Amino acid sequence: MDADSAAPSAYDSDADSREKFRSLDENVQNLKKEVLDLNRDLFLLEEELLFPANSQVAFFISMDVGEYFELDSVNLKIDGKEVSNYLYTEREVGALVRGGVHRVHMANLKTGDHELIAVFTGGGPHTRDYRRGATLMFKKGIGAKYLELEITDRVKKQQPEFVIKEWE
Amino acid sequence: MQPVTAVADDTDPIVVRDPHYGEVLFYFYQNDYFPAIVRLLAAQEQSQLSEHTEQAELLLGGMYLSYGHHLAAADIFERLLADKVSPEIRDRTWFFLAKIWKQRGYLDKSQEALTNLSDTLPDNLWREAQMLQAQIYIDSAQYDRAIALLQAWEGKTEWASYAKFNLGVALVRSGQVDAASGILDELGSIDPFNEELTSLRDRANLALGYSLLQDGQPLAAKRPLQRVRLNGPFSNKALLGVGWADAEVENFSRALVPWMELRGRDLLDPAVQESMLAIPYALGKLDSISQAADHYLNAIEAFYEESNRIDRTIGFIESGEVFNQFLSDDPMDSTGWYWRLEELPQGPEARYLYHLLATDEFQEGLKNYRDLNYLNNNLENWQQNVDVYANMLETRIEAYAERLPRVEDALARADLDGMVDRKLELDSLLNEIERSNDWLALANESEVEMWSEISEIGSAPALAADIPEAAEVRDKIGLLKGVLQWQLESDFNDRLWRLRRNVGQTGEALVDTQRLRRQIDDTMRTEPLRFEELSNRVYGLEPRIDGMQLRVSNAMADQREFLQSIAVGELQAQKQRLDIYTVQARFALAAIYDVATTEAEASP
Repeated sequence: MDADSAAPSAYDSDADSREKFRSLDENVQNLKKEVLDLNRDLFLLEEELLFPANSQVAFFISMDVGEYFELDSVNLKIDGKEVSNYLYTEREVGALVRGGVHRVHMANLKTGDHELIAVFTGGGPHTRDYRRGATLMFKKGIGAKYLELEITDRVKKQQPEFVIKEWE
Repeated sequence: MQPVTAVADDTDPIVVRDPHYGEVLFYFYQNDYFPAIVRLLAAQEQSQLSEHTEQAELLLGGMYLSYGHHLAAADIFERLLADKVSPEIRDRTWFFLAKIWKQRGYLDKSQEALTNLSDTLPDNLWREAQMLQAQIYIDSAQYDRAIALLQAWEGKTEWASYAKFNLGVALVRSGQVDAASGILDELGSIDPFNEELTSLRDRANLALGYSLLQDGQPLAAKRPLQRVRLNGPFSNKALLGVGWADAEVENFSRALVPWMELRGRDLLDPAVQESMLAIPYALGKLDSISQAADHYLNAIEAFYEESNRIDRTIGFIESGEVFNQFLSDDPMDSTGWYWRLEELPQGPEARYLYHLLATDEFQEGLKNYRDLNYLNNNLENWQQNVDVYANMLETRIEAYAERLPRVEDALARADLDGMVDRKLELDSLLNEIERSNDWLALANESEVEMWSEISEIGSAPALAADIPEAAEVRDKIGLLKGVLQWQLESDFNDRLWRLRRNVGQTGEALVDTQRLRRQIDDTMRTEPLRFEELSNRVYGLEPRIDGMQLRVSNAMADQREFLQSIAVGELQAQKQRLDIYTVQARFALAAIYDVATTEAEASP
């Protein structure tokens, strides 16, 4: 509760000043909208330019529950070549635990078969250091492809599990 | 509670069915509203949120609200809230809109939002909403409505104390001082259990004390003024008032006690400034003329120095530099609605601006200034990136143009149609071989050679002789031919199947090649168009960024000017007050000298 918001301030602006503020604020609101729209267009352009749809592959990281694994980093290799080594901040891990999905890497790949190796590093059950890999052979078709690397809990074994899902 | 949680209830786990929606949430959960909004808008544009259409729209509204983009948020909510969300979410959303609009001085819109509320708000928010309503009534001089609302206030929470205070304010402003006195006295006598309530009690006592002083009741005024804490934001004014209450009843020596206490306090406070005139005034009344003159001289000197400092500060503020100190250290740190400047940057000007921080207008103005700075940095980054993209695109266009003739040449040499014809010929040849059971046609090279050799030997003229040796050779040749034919006939189906399989595979490869060829043809047809489209976008965006940067920088200048005008206006008011006090001090001093001179002349 805010005392200042609850009672009229001694410095309440007069109507003219309020009008002036409002006019400036409306201008700022318009600019925010236009810059956001511009950012959207630039974001899409950047993606199309750097990762054209016919060769685009996006790799996402997600977590389901995550009680048995505290993520530190993810290392990705595509066809034997390291393409990403991402170190997560506490804030980012928090966002993943709440249901956020992180686009960890984008790549351009030719149509055909490819191999993905993901290595997850972090704290495992009983605060032990944990390092686990997951491998997937996937086929890149003509359109964009999305691969989701999901960290889930295997309750029976009280162990984390690393699953790779394909989205078309 | 944050506005966005009003609409994006995070108590229920969200099942993400589109990775792009999850990506938006990734930024949203980190309170990075700007990138979250951009990703959401981009995903909507590409129809990537089909599984979360309405959820995404509601989340966008919530994020706009948290980002301080309240008009866009309202647009969404007005569209969605009518029938697509639960009354609880609808009420909470209207509540936050009302609050943000009140802060930003959009009283009409805030009133509209409050009118939209039904009765599903939780108690604490409902009380806050009622208080917002009362403040809107007071701000728009609808005191009777404010009084009616506040008099009917129920409950005994902290809000009840604020309601009482605002009721007192509304009664005073509507001229009902007596009625206000009872209310403020009651509030001024509470036993507060936290700093906020202590501060509210001080304010109530101060308001009551001064209203009694103005009403000519100095003795009654002392009690509430003495209830104000000795050290707090309202103590100086209270001490000054206590002195004036004593002075009103001609008790100047008592009046000097609180005023002398003020002497050592911050000269910026108007109460301290006024006390510097009040002290010699009382001393004069107590016939301590020479002491009074000394105090007036001190006051004039102090006011002069303070006035000079204010002038320097005004100069510094007008230079505009001071506002850059309010910007975040991290240029890409977005602001959002929650941001508040808690501490002023170090510097001589800080003490003059301190109480500006308490005003919504200055704080909201600063938020806009910081937001604009963020937009400016964002556009600058894009400007650099777009230059890189333009180069990249040019390089690609050149590389394509260079490769194209080689590809065209290779394609011209590859006679795909001829290969297809040959494949079809092979099919019909195999059909014919099968139909005519032409087992010899499927013989391999050595078998054909062997067959020819045997046949050739068999047709040698010497073998036609009617002699036993020739007959024996003829028999052997017949046997050899028979064995070879038997082998070829028994392998016939197998060989035919293998050949058909190979031809079939060749056919499939040809179909793939034809598909690839069509793709290459398509690409050759569409690539120049795609390059053109991308070029148009890249080169079309550059001037958009430039134009936007110019507008953002103009808006920053306007916003800075507005903040400057508030700050400078505040300082000029302080300076004006000092000037008036200086004139009063000079007059009083002149009067003292006059009296002294007259007395000196009158004495023998």
